[in-house]
Amino acid sequence: MFESALTVMIFLPIVAGALILLCPAKGAARIIGFFVSLIVLMIGVQLFIDFDGQAGMQFVYSTPWISSLGISFGLGVDGISLLVLLTSAVLFPLVFCVLKEQSRNFYANLLLCQGAMIGAICATDLVVFYIFWELMLVPIFFTIGLYGGPGRLPATLKITIYTIAGSLLMLVGIIYVASCYHQQFGVWTFNMARLSALSLSGGFAGWAFLMFMIAFAIKIPIFPFHTWLPDAYTEAPPATSFVLSAIMAKIGVYGMIRFVLPFFAPEFISWATFFLFLGIIGMIYCGIAAIGQKDIKRMLAFSSASHMGVIAIGVCAMNVQSLTGSLFQIAAHATSTGVLFLFVGLMEERLKTRNIDALGGLAYRAPIFATFFAVAMLASVGLPGTSGFIGEFLIILGTVKYSMFLGLLTGFTLIVGVCYMLWMFQRVFYEKESETTTRFTDLTAGEAFSFLPVMILIFVMGIFPQLFISKIEPAVQQQIAQLYAPAQQQVVTNEISVTDK
Amino acid sequence: MHDFASFLPLVITCAGALLLMLYAVCPKAEQEKASLMSMGFFAVAFFAQLLVVCTVSRSVFPETFNGLLGVSSFTNAACLIIYACGFFTTLSSHTYFRENHFATVEFYSLLLFSAVGMVLLSMARELITAFIALEIMSLAIYILVGFNRASSRATEALFKYFILGAFSGAFFCMGTAMIYGAAGSTRFESIAEWLAFNPATTPLMLGGAFFLLITIFFKISAFPFHAWVLDVYDGSSNPITGFMATALKTAAFALIANFLALSGNLHDSWITGLFWIAVFTMFGGNLIAIGQDNIKRMIAASGIVHSGYLLIALVAINSEHFSGAVIAYYLAAYSVATLGMFAALSWLGGEGEKRVNFDDFKGLAKRQPLAAATITIFLLSMAGIPPTAGFMGKFYIITSAITAGQIALGVLGIISSILSMWYYLRLIVSMYFHDAEEDFVVNGTSLASISTVALAIGTFAIGLFPLVL
Repeated sequence: MFESALTVMIFLPIVAGALILLCPAKGAARIIGFFVSLIVLMIGVQLFIDFDGQAGMQFVYSTPWISSLGISFGLGVDGISLLVLLTSAVLFPLVFCVLKEQSRNFYANLLLCQGAMIGAICATDLVVFYIFWELMLVPIFFTIGLYGGPGRLPATLKITIYTIAGSLLMLVGIIYVASCYHQQFGVWTFNMARLSALSLSGGFAGWAFLMFMIAFAIKIPIFPFHTWLPDAYTEAPPATSFVLSAIMAKIGVYGMIRFVLPFFAPEFISWATFFLFLGIIGMIYCGIAAIGQKDIKRMLAFSSASHMGVIAIGVCAMNVQSLTGSLFQIAAHATSTGVLFLFVGLMEERLKTRNIDALGGLAYRAPIFATFFAVAMLASVGLPGTSGFIGEFLIILGTVKYSMFLGLLTGFTLIVGVCYMLWMFQRVFYEKESETTTRFTDLTAGEAFSFLPVMILIFVMGIFPQLFISKIEPAVQQQIAQLYAPAQQQVVTNEISVTDK
Repeated sequence: MHDFASFLPLVITCAGALLLMLYAVCPKAEQEKASLMSMGFFAVAFFAQLLVVCTVSRSVFPETFNGLLGVSSFTNAACLIIYACGFFTTLSSHTYFRENHFATVEFYSLLLFSAVGMVLLSMARELITAFIALEIMSLAIYILVGFNRASSRATEALFKYFILGAFSGAFFCMGTAMIYGAAGSTRFESIAEWLAFNPATTPLMLGGAFFLLITIFFKISAFPFHAWVLDVYDGSSNPITGFMATALKTAAFALIANFLALSGNLHDSWITGLFWIAVFTMFGGNLIAIGQDNIKRMIAASGIVHSGYLLIALVAINSEHFSGAVIAYYLAAYSVATLGMFAALSWLGGEGEKRVNFDDFKGLAKRQPLAAATITIFLLSMAGIPPTAGFMGKFYIITSAITAGQIALGVLGIISSILSMWYYLRLIVSMYFHDAEEDFVVNGTSLASISTVALAIGTFAIGLFPLVL
């Protein structure tokens, strides 16, 4: 793969987005967006194929930026970020294909968002990461505020202020980590690999740990930081809900694995059980809330939050199986729950309603749509043979290893998910055909063709998980080994390469 | 010769001010021409200063005129900011006075004079020089604030500012006298020598520094001397408000940073005081800003908050190797965003500043997308969202605070900027997410719109290429 592949993946969408904003041609926006996202997809897939399954960063690109503080524009991919990156690269063309939002600003915002998200995933420098991390919120703010539902104003303010509060606090944490490194080694650096030499605990480090954790917990979101989620997901236009749920939430998990685990290993180990509990509570709480919803999108919002809880549990259980499971589930969740948001978007576009009570009997009208929906839904509840099963299985396996009780609790909680999903499916797709649903038309050939790859992906991931897991496992093993390794040892191994002291 | 070169920009500004004053007497004088002339003077001064920064070696002349004035990389940066502020203020004024007709040629002359005072203030290495510079600056600013004689609000603003300013000037004199009583000199160098062997907590030194700080706190509108700022900013015309908020603050901060960096002794004795003043300034400013409906008043209050951030940097300065880079960078970032806001307000405000409330800008994005986009960029920069200059500024300030061991202050600064999100977002929300109620007609292209766009680009340029550090 060519050297600057990652840079292209980041800046191609951003530049294209900016151009779309500036150029007056109206119809071109969607086509440009589609092709740009297609190029990004191809680079992403090629990266995935070329990735050689070793631990450590690959496709590294680095150029100094602010030398007085040791900040460099560094990019790279390793097993931790590979699947998140793949997800954000692969699923985007779908958004441009399927939904019929006409405004060019909307497509521009989506492209900006994709660039920023890929930037946050690939950054190997904390400041660069932070810049992209904040930047990806700006398009979300505008898309919800401009194109959202009737309650969009409070929803967009809520998500923006909530997440910015979290990430600004994380900024203090980032600077604190770097200044600790500066104190110990006398050099300023924001490079992730070098900062991993630190293993902070005690004193302010405890607070810094919480600042990082809360920032990511808000983004994921982990109970009790989820309160922005139902409104934002429900009011957002379908494409934005999809981006939020399929990719942005995952970057929170990714950040937790990437930053919190190495920097604050002792703190994380001592807090893990607490956060694991929060994950379980969140799963149960959001699951129960989902059962009661009348609006499908709101139900999916809660369901998404509930499933994100499982992923967070996998991280908190801190062993190779659970962490692999979490990383795998990141991709699986995006292809299932994320895609469900798009289906609901289509449904809303055609029927102008999302109320479960007003629907019924869609399966008779639209068999293809119902089949696709069912596949994504079953993957989301973790049916064996689909992508969701592998991830959840690994997570529960790892959690049982961590603690039998918590593992079993997690396993039983997943049943709640099956309940609301199947019940919803029954009410929307079977039972008596309602008046509104008679207007429903099945997926057109183009739409079906756009969704087909994702459906195939769900089964491929479910049947041949080794394709993916073999690439990420070495990195996970290293991460876990580093977590439990005594801090001293790491310092030695990491500091050998320091040259500019 | 180098001596002269370092002061060339100052000479240019001063000459410009005097020439414009002479031009005002000329019967055919037009204010539009005067504005172009002052634009030219500011531009030439700016580039001369840039030349000085690039060519003259930094450490050759730390002190000149027998120690009255000093040139360092910090003062150079401050002067650059002041000249740039002057330039963009004249651009906005040019547009502003198309719709509002109370400008005369003297307006621009006074603008140049006040810039002279500011530049002198930032370079002062001696207290009496500083006082004179302060008065040159203040007298010109007083007149500029009350320039619209027909407006009772401007007169009110002038009176409030003038009376309080006169008080603060008196405090400065008193402080100078007490420091002279303690150290036996008003020169920074001699004061530093004296402080090397004596504690900064002797009554005279303590009292003197206290009075000096009061004056500066008044000028930068730090808590508890911030009450005037809303009415004065609101009452003065848009370009002048922008100028006061940026250039004046730059000069005052340059002076106080130079003074506090004199000796670790002096700085240490004020750390606790500065700490609390910074905290109260940030949170007090935020509380005031959250309640405002008027954009000018909101920005005035947010200016208080930004002074609070700069005070954090003051707490964190290291007198051993003081460079002032963090302060200069933040001032530059803040100035670009604030000037941009006021340029946009001058451009869109309309006759008699009729559009000034949050609600007046509803739906601006639908009618004037470019204006709305630039205002958004400025607001995001003020709020500290990357990749704008405001973010880098905040990043440096928090870094310097944490490096200096002031972690609590860093955290409080961040909490304050979370609070400030609300009122910045509020304007963006009303520009973008509401329907337009009027069509925001603006006649022709104006210089203010050009400066708005230039400053918006500057916001990113400074943020992405922080050359100062």
